[in-house]
Amino acid sequence: MNLQTTGIGSASGKRTIMKGLSGFVKLLLLGYAILTLYPLYWLFTSAFKSNQDFFTNPYGLPKEWMSENIFRAWELGNMGRAMLNSTVVTIISVALTILLSVLAAYVLSRFQFPFKKAVVVLFTTGLLIPIHSTLVPLFIMMKNIGLLDTYGALILPYTAFELPIAIFLSMAYMSSIPREIEEAAMIDGSGWWGIFGRMILPLCMPIVATISILAFLRFWNDFSFALVFINTQALKTLPLSLSLFSDGFGTDYALTMGAMAIAVIPTIVAYLILQEQIMKGMVAGSIKG
Amino acid sequence: MPTAMRSKGFIAIALLPALLLFLIFVIIPVFWSAYYGFFSWKGFGEATFIGLDNYKEMFKDPIFWRALRNNLILVVSSIIGQVPIALVLAIVLFKNSLFSRFIRSAVFMPMVLSTVVVGLIWGYIYHPQFGIANHVLEMLGLESWTRAWLSDPKVNMLAISIPINWANVGPYLVIFIAALQNISPEIHDAAKIDGSSGWNKLRNITLPMIWSTVVVTIVLCISGSLKAFDHVIVMTGGGPAQSTELLATYMYNSTFSVYRYGYGSAVSTMIMIVSAILIAINYFATRRKSS
Repeated sequence: MNLQTTGIGSASGKRTIMKGLSGFVKLLLLGYAILTLYPLYWLFTSAFKSNQDFFTNPYGLPKEWMSENIFRAWELGNMGRAMLNSTVVTIISVALTILLSVLAAYVLSRFQFPFKKAVVVLFTTGLLIPIHSTLVPLFIMMKNIGLLDTYGALILPYTAFELPIAIFLSMAYMSSIPREIEEAAMIDGSGWWGIFGRMILPLCMPIVATISILAFLRFWNDFSFALVFINTQALKTLPLSLSLFSDGFGTDYALTMGAMAIAVIPTIVAYLILQEQIMKGMVAGSIKG
Repeated sequence: MPTAMRSKGFIAIALLPALLLFLIFVIIPVFWSAYYGFFSWKGFGEATFIGLDNYKEMFKDPIFWRALRNNLILVVSSIIGQVPIALVLAIVLFKNSLFSRFIRSAVFMPMVLSTVVVGLIWGYIYHPQFGIANHVLEMLGLESWTRAWLSDPKVNMLAISIPINWANVGPYLVIFIAALQNISPEIHDAAKIDGSSGWNKLRNITLPMIWSTVVVTIVLCISGSLKAFDHVIVMTGGGPAQSTELLATYMYNSTFSVYRYGYGSAVSTMIMIVSAILIAINYFATRRKSS
């Protein structure tokens, strides 16, 4: 495909002009990419600078690479604890999202029962509800049932808000799985749980991967829910700790940069390894959402 | 063979956990906030029913209108910022070469960052003393343009919209590339036979073919802009003097810093209504286009 299209061109003069033009366009694109990546470059170089270096030499590489900021941020800012909290909350929420959504999607795509349509419509409206409009009532509700300031205060709403998109992605995927597979298994005497666990779930692994990526990024990076529902220092997640960090160590900029570098590394590493899947997953998620 | 009874049991056990969790944490809160909106309540003690007073107060509050205006500024800036940038990039990057893949990955990268990190980094970039925004302007000889980007009420909403645009071009780019790659090669061949190329081809063939995708991205811009809460909380907290308040931050500040749960609930309900109106406007606007 590519070979064919680049090989086409009538006169050789026209070709040189086109080449010059495309070189120029490439230069512009490179410029745009650098502009996009620059703030990240700045973050990582600043994280390894001393405060003095940060002020006098804002653009260049660190005069002396210091890992001190990272270690100090890890200890002073309780970043280790925050990392643990984020990890626990994210893993449990992702697992819960996958289990509940794939099961629900299986029922909604394979069974006929009363109010099925109403259930689908209900989940669809869930896609349209702006999460910030639920912060106040959720806060009051969780305060009343004593859920505020626990891991559950994050895990349950995260999962609940991720369910609609996860269910729709899995339903779309399941419509491509032929029903004959299940009929054969039924004749073999497997029950529904057996069919689900041994056939459907393994077949759904590609879409489970997409859902996990989407959910991981959303939960790991969430700020609003953590800000409103978590107060105890020991339960704060990474984004919440970071936002307080910048208040607490206001003038120690290099230290704050170090803390941010810690928070950003897991998602950037995930992105470098899985970029194609992440791009596709996020696009699928945003279109349905 | 599973019997009918056993399938009924399976349906219930498999569906109910998801349904209940969703109802309790997503749907019911919407009704609670509509209900609390009619009360004056400090979060403890008795709540007093005050009818529509919260809404009356909201409509009289200039900060509410400023917040609404700021929300609309973000909607407009995403539509005129993200969509055209992504479209232009997609048109030049739609081939799957190594180079265009690299640019795509770079442009998409900020999407995986936490909004807090985006807000903090850009807060530093705009910093009046050491921020690189002013630094760069000075190097270009534009000293008169330097300012405290996030405190000057004339420019601070614009300043806030830039990081939001910066972070969100990626998905639109990928969406447009997918749409462009969906146009069948025969159409490109037909265009070549007709002698249509460059700008003409773009305007008469490519754009109409991906128009429905453009509409989708505009819808996404609208809903995305309503989520800008995090950036504002981190960069300005809604200040100075509430000049960068959005509906969501206005709700947050009037609930949790002054303990007015009734009023905050009324604002929450308002956010629902505003987003419903925006979605409806968009629905009707796009329906007219396609018919």
